[in-house]
Amino acid sequence: MTSSLPSPLPVLDRTLLYFACKLVPLAERSDWLRCWQAELWHRHHLRSSELRSNAIDLYPGLVRDALWLCAESIRMAFAGTASLCLGLLTIVLVLAGMPLFAFSGSTHTLFGLLPSNAGRFLCEATLVTLVSFATGSRTIEHESPAALVSRFRAQFFLAAKLALVLIIAFLLSLDMTLPFHTAHPFIAEIIQPQFFVFIALLGLRWNFQDQDNRCKHCLRELASPSRVGRPSWNFLDSNSTELLCKDGHGLLSVPEIETSWRRSSHWIAS
Amino acid sequence: MTAYYVVNFIYVLHYIAMAAQRLSHTAALILKALSLNYRFGFEIMEVTGLPSGTVYPALRRLERDKLVQSDWEPEAEAIEHARPARRYYQITKAGKAVVLSATERYPLLARLIPEKQA
Repeated sequence: MTSSLPSPLPVLDRTLLYFACKLVPLAERSDWLRCWQAELWHRHHLRSSELRSNAIDLYPGLVRDALWLCAESIRMAFAGTASLCLGLLTIVLVLAGMPLFAFSGSTHTLFGLLPSNAGRFLCEATLVTLVSFATGSRTIEHESPAALVSRFRAQFFLAAKLALVLIIAFLLSLDMTLPFHTAHPFIAEIIQPQFFVFIALLGLRWNFQDQDNRCKHCLRELASPSRVGRPSWNFLDSNSTELLCKDGHGLLSVPEIETSWRRSSHWIAS
Repeated sequence: MTAYYVVNFIYVLHYIAMAAQRLSHTAALILKALSLNYRFGFEIMEVTGLPSGTVYPALRRLERDKLVQSDWEPEAEAIEHARPARRYYQITKAGKAVVLSATERYPLLARLIPEKQA
């Protein structure tokens, strides 16, 4: 491990390097190791005698540097992915269910409460979904149609988000009305669907926008928005915002205004 | 075409302003040290008085944000002095603009770090 150094590092340094480098992503490990071997070596061979042989103050830096690289690689791998989105929605779902659980007192009461509201939920959810699809969904032109698997995955992701958003909206509407359900049941019955419709419409609108702004291949959020064209050229040339897939699967061109020759967004696969 | 450059210039200024606002005292201090030609993580630790656990991750973040770039010392130079090559950091053009606006924001920053002696 210290073969490239003019003199070997102390055992403690080498042990720490050995364990810390396990945290560093494989692609960056050799560079990181080389960097820290050099830093520690220089720390031990400083000319000023008062600082010589005192590398302990570098240890926190070494460990935190390795941890930062580890966290950054996880962040890069999951940032904007469909799995992260579904994971976060699931967390929100659990959080939305907590007040309901606290109010009902036990899981038995909670599970008794949910089936009694299932019919109402299905009715409200169907109506809201139909309205949202009729008003909120947009078509995206594909230069070349995506593979069947990608299209199926995208539809599954949209459906999963839709279901989660609707359940979250329903739970939140119950959270807000349940506290005064016993005192004013009639008012609660009237207010709850209104809360649900309001939250669900907002949620589904977000769902469509989020779906539009994702790569049609890997479903990762598109990034690096850049303006293309000039507003004064609206009827002559492209005037749009282009978003790129970080993994290079393609770009989405979103027109600034709807024209007869450019009604919808355009996905150009790489 | 001029309008295009003007818009781009405004975007760059906006980016710098945003970056300067987001910059913590620590990051501003590290950038200031780099702008004064302190190049190594260890040197920055000494001159700023910041612990290694703060300096090295901050350097990584600054590099990710393209305010700093790092490279390796020439191998020949290191061999000549019988020591291993070290990674050194340099402030980028964007970093210089950010440190300039940070110095305006934190005037004491200019006095905290002495110029590096050649």
